[in-house]
Amino acid sequence: MTAAGVRTPPPEAAAASPAGQSAIAALRLTSLYLESRRIPAALGLLAGPVVLLWASLYWHWSIAGGAAARDLVPLVAETGAAAIIAVTTHGPFGDPERATGRWLPYLRPAAALLLTTAAFGALAAGSLGGRLPGGSMTLLRNLAGMTGTGLLVAAVLSGAFAWIGPMAYMLVTEGALAGGWTTPWVWPARPPHDVGGALCAYGVFAAGLVAITLLGARAASRPALLE
Amino acid sequence: MTAAADVPVRHLPPRARRAAPLSAARLLRLELRRNAVPWILLLVAALFWFDSYRPSATTPPIWVLRTFWNMGQGHTIIDFGPFVAGVAAWMGSRDGRRGTADLVTATARPRYSAQLATWAATAVWAVGAYLAFVCVLFGVYAREGVQGSPPWWWVAVGAAAVTAFSAAGFTIGALYPSRFAAPLAAFGGFLVMTMSSQTGFSHTSGWALILPTNSNGNYQPVSGIFYPYLPDLPIARVMFLTGIAVVALGLLGLPAGAGGPLLRRGAGAITLAGVTMAGTAVGLAASARLEPHGMSIPALHDAANDRPIAYTPVCGRTAGVPVCLNPAYRSIMADVAAALRPVLGQVAGLPGAPGRVIQVGGNYSSTEGEAGQAMTISGDPLVLRMPLDAGDLPGAFGGTTTQFTDQLRLLFVHAFAGVGNGAGTPAQQAVQAALLQGAGMPFAAQPKALSGYGLPSWALTTDLPGSADGPGPATGPVYAAARRLAALSPAARHAWLASHLAALRAGRLTLAQLP
Repeated sequence: MTAAGVRTPPPEAAAASPAGQSAIAALRLTSLYLESRRIPAALGLLAGPVVLLWASLYWHWSIAGGAAARDLVPLVAETGAAAIIAVTTHGPFGDPERATGRWLPYLRPAAALLLTTAAFGALAAGSLGGRLPGGSMTLLRNLAGMTGTGLLVAAVLSGAFAWIGPMAYMLVTEGALAGGWTTPWVWPARPPHDVGGALCAYGVFAAGLVAITLLGARAASRPALLE
Repeated sequence: MTAAADVPVRHLPPRARRAAPLSAARLLRLELRRNAVPWILLLVAALFWFDSYRPSATTPPIWVLRTFWNMGQGHTIIDFGPFVAGVAAWMGSRDGRRGTADLVTATARPRYSAQLATWAATAVWAVGAYLAFVCVLFGVYAREGVQGSPPWWWVAVGAAAVTAFSAAGFTIGALYPSRFAAPLAAFGGFLVMTMSSQTGFSHTSGWALILPTNSNGNYQPVSGIFYPYLPDLPIARVMFLTGIAVVALGLLGLPAGAGGPLLRRGAGAITLAGVTMAGTAVGLAASARLEPHGMSIPALHDAANDRPIAYTPVCGRTAGVPVCLNPAYRSIMADVAAALRPVLGQVAGLPGAPGRVIQVGGNYSSTEGEAGQAMTISGDPLVLRMPLDAGDLPGAFGGTTTQFTDQLRLLFVHAFAGVGNGAGTPAQQAVQAALLQGAGMPFAAQPKALSGYGLPSWALTTDLPGSADGPGPATGPVYAAARRLAALSPAARHAWLASHLAALRAGRLTLAQLP
């Protein structure tokens, strides 16, 4: 099969005005980008953490212990959502896409923001199953911060392995909560309206967005392993 | 998409069969070189240090204490397993993600065997790294002079758990070849471990003992010092985790593209074998019962493991009485001597006063759990047998030197008053309180000492005020009598005790008969 003979645009494109053509192209590019990053699948998978959060609050899954145990299930749900968002940064095309995709710096943060917003909305809806420790502000702070760790790992290591950022952060957080740490860098340990914790969490999210915008998810030096 | 279902089964010629092991070794070597597990090892090492080593570093230098958190409660598995599951899922989804399933199916080997080679390489990396990290951890402990013996069976459980995580993760990746397979496997694994921990905390018997994070009753304070670690439960856990790994690998061979009908039937048999193995292990764990030195499973129990570990005690002296400890506890000799000196000094020369103090291993039961054990005075000459275990030490589970001292004094006077395993009569309680006051524990502090963690259950069922529901005021007829006795001069109190001790121990003395 060859496309050598195709030299004219499709009839519907030719019929549109230049502005319309541009809009169609933008929409098509966006949809292709979202599809290549498996954003629709990610939106579907976000149901998992949401159901987990809702079930834990609705049925009052009580985990004995201190703050580390009490906050565990909400933290796992937030971390799972952050991991799903982070993994969508993985691009299957590598250098060719980087060389030709001038809209990528806009699409990457836009997709991350879209998913984070969707995840927050979905988790907030899931939290209606009961009383979420810390409330929605804590949920947003934790989700944003953990997503930031995933985006940073995507930029440094690989998009496919970006899930290890939120995962590792959660393990550190559990240890810190059990040990009674109060550093703002462990923001889940801070009160809901704590400025230091919020600054750190949103700072990490912003750093992740900047990294993913400027650098994109790293194409590994050994693509055979991480692609 | 795969066309494997249409691919005819290929039979290897004889020469090819001879070459098969060599090819398998080459395939494994290739997969080892192209595995993703090494990419996460640095991070896992950091987490291992943070979550497994760091919390243990402040515990007393006894193996069973140092490793309680990371081995007994399975934190090395929590730190390792989910990451291994995630990376294994990534490796398992490789062919599907790259769209090379048809290509692999068309090669000389069935897809199943190629997948097994990839999994084997992942497991070799993961288990090898786990063992290497544990070796370093234990090496650090050994350099710090940790006493007792390492819990080797729990290391085997950890290695089996890592293998199971790798197999389960790999199968998830193979069956759901997506970029999301890795986080799905990792977070699923973490959630399972979390629930396992939670269930383990609340279940002291039954099927939940199979969970690798459940330390109830199978990681006893006497283990590795007075008695060997009982391997019964770890053996059942290794069986269970191996069964899970076998089930996961069997499931890998069931899809149409995995190989020919014979191979798929074999995979089905493997799956059933794994289910049987895991189910048997759960049944074995459910039959476990708490013996004096740990969990025993009748079908797996070896009586040789009940024999105490021989040792030459180290001895010191306090208040003129020799005190002998297990050499593993050499470092707390001074604390023990300081704790016993004032109580031994008060009873020196009285009938029933011990002429020697020796440390013995605790005798744990399902009713007392892992709480402290009562001391006894018996033999000729009289010997105070002091069940002093790792869980009682200062620094263990947040315990302080003051609590340790109070506990030893309380247990001593309890034994001296001849009370045994009960709260004792009001007169015995009053004498006990007066002796504790004489040893430097004020009356006001005694209710709190009696409600402290780690004492036998009688301490909380005593009639002393407030002790059953936590500390209360040291008031009431018992303390009133105790105050009268304590107000006597040491010589007068000594004389009164000398003349009334027999009646006191027999329980014939009333509060009114106290001076």
